[in-house]
Amino acid sequence: MTMDRRSVLGLGGVLAAGVILAPGLRLIAAPEDVTEASDKRRWGMLIDTTQCNPACTACTQACRTENNVPLTGDPERDIHWIRKVELHSKDGGKPDRSLPVLCNHCEHPPCVHVCPTQASFIRKDGIVLVDMHRCIGCRYCMIACPYKARSLVYSTPSIPGTPNRKVPMRAKGVVEKCTFCVHRIDDGGQPACVEACQKEAKGGMLFGDLNDPQSEISQRLRQVLSTTIRPDLGLKPRVHYQGI
Amino acid sequence: MLSEFSAIKGSSPGYWKLVALCALLFLVGVGSFFAIESYGHGITGMNNQVVWGMPHVFAISLLVMASGALNLGSMSTVFASIQFKQFTRFSAFLSIVLLIGGLTVLLLDLGRPDRMLLPMLYMNFRSMFTWNVFLYSGFFVLCLLYLWSMFDYKQFTKVVGSAAFAWRVILTTGTGSIFGVIHARDVFFSAITGPMFVAVSLTSGTALSTILLVGTYRKTGRYMEEKLVFGLRNALIFFTLLVGYMFVVEKFTKFYSPAFYEVETWLLVGPWAWLYWLGVWGCCVIFPLVILFHGRLGNTVQGVVAASVVTVVGVFAFVAHVLLAGQSYPFDMFPGYQLSSVFLDGASAHYVPSLVELGMGIGGIGLSALLFLLGIRFFRMLPAKAVAPEGWELPWSP
Repeated sequence: MTMDRRSVLGLGGVLAAGVILAPGLRLIAAPEDVTEASDKRRWGMLIDTTQCNPACTACTQACRTENNVPLTGDPERDIHWIRKVELHSKDGGKPDRSLPVLCNHCEHPPCVHVCPTQASFIRKDGIVLVDMHRCIGCRYCMIACPYKARSLVYSTPSIPGTPNRKVPMRAKGVVEKCTFCVHRIDDGGQPACVEACQKEAKGGMLFGDLNDPQSEISQRLRQVLSTTIRPDLGLKPRVHYQGI
Repeated sequence: MLSEFSAIKGSSPGYWKLVALCALLFLVGVGSFFAIESYGHGITGMNNQVVWGMPHVFAISLLVMASGALNLGSMSTVFASIQFKQFTRFSAFLSIVLLIGGLTVLLLDLGRPDRMLLPMLYMNFRSMFTWNVFLYSGFFVLCLLYLWSMFDYKQFTKVVGSAAFAWRVILTTGTGSIFGVIHARDVFFSAITGPMFVAVSLTSGTALSTILLVGTYRKTGRYMEEKLVFGLRNALIFFTLLVGYMFVVEKFTKFYSPAFYEVETWLLVGPWAWLYWLGVWGCCVIFPLVILFHGRLGNTVQGVVAASVVTVVGVFAFVAHVLLAGQSYPFDMFPGYQLSSVFLDGASAHYVPSLVELGMGIGGIGLSALLFLLGIRFFRMLPAKAVAPEGWELPWSP
């Protein structure tokens, strides 16, 4: 088959137009509720520390399984998306507490502010995520985060025998952190830590839409006395703690 | 009357041995980079508490000195110190080579150095890093133009030199602000962190220039009038006093607030106290001033060079202290509670640099030194004879 010059130019023009327009086109609109983040929602968490048992690691174990987070045995370089922290009152005036600490998905996240490549970003529904393909591993976000919620992948990670394929495989030299199990949220579920806490422990973790005044978390936040970590920094974290 | 500019001969075995040594240091850096690239940052001493280690100490120290190396040029072009006019080419050139060395280390220490161009594609103008990308590249271009104007377009030297001076102040403020704007870190967060970096750049840049000028003139058998070295000494004294003043103001402000008692006490007596007292106060302020104000030592070239060497050590100590102590101090996430966890919450972070980190940092120094040696060999950077201008007298001596 031969093509004349006019056809070649025409075909080239169509291809070029296709390349330019394709990223902006969506052939079949996806249902917004299920597969796309909505700016009408603001996901948040309330942790009742009075229900948290120091010996219980259901939330951290569930997170490791769900997100393929390995434990290398090197406490200084292990990756932690969520960790249990023990609190001992310095003057003995308050009861000791044990509670999970994770990314607080702040309204004003310093990690996003300092990221030079916008690899750290805020999704429409307020979840703070890291684009692993854009992260250059500068670690400025780790310097800026007051919750120590981020970890650098220090060496080639081991892949578990039966990894969860819904979660991106991690890469050496890239920073990562809790995603609030965004893949589960998009499927209408809850973060794995919350689910594990409710199934295997006393259910001290509550997750929901802070923008919905009728949601259980919104109602509980109106009823109980709660606080956030370092509210003085003005970051407006979305993980709230009750009982401290 | 200024002497003619000329390149050094650079034909002696000593010169080429020095070039080979610097090339070797650079290769050590390259080898260290490939080791980290292959095995990951797990082979460094860095961890999830101290995420910036020795490569950053070397890189930022070189960048601070790059800004400071422009002192001689600025003193001549902007502040009309005619005795330093003969060193303006050297000054701009030294800035460029230090900038190259520092930036190379900084970029190669990225977790993903293969993506080092992404900040140019996806800019986040709220990030101090993005600002610094512009500040460093702008400074590099301005120094090149400054140098070029001195060679071929002298009518532009004043304009470009003044712009470079203003730029370097902003640049070093930007470098310090990488730390100063971080509210989460009690050690970093301060409006004076940026200006402190500027002050330290003034001392370290002047000190390094003094060492290199005296060394180059002595080793090449050229004449440099001692009066010029003492002029540099006087500048170094004032800059060092400025650094001491800033340190005092910073500590006074922090200690005035009970909220900072804990962290400030930790800095003065904690695990990094040795670096603070010996490195920051000792090498940045006290030891150089003792030498420079010493009646005999301060009035000898050897004494001035010794004080300069201590000052250069001081800039590394200052940057190391800001970085390492700043990251080691535990976050106080729940005031009133003592914290503990498997992620080492509540504990001072542990950091011991590894050899590959030191190798990478030394590689940056090797690269800068190599470029400097080749630059003065192939370009007319320095006057054949450095003498004070007629009628210029040293205003005072300690």
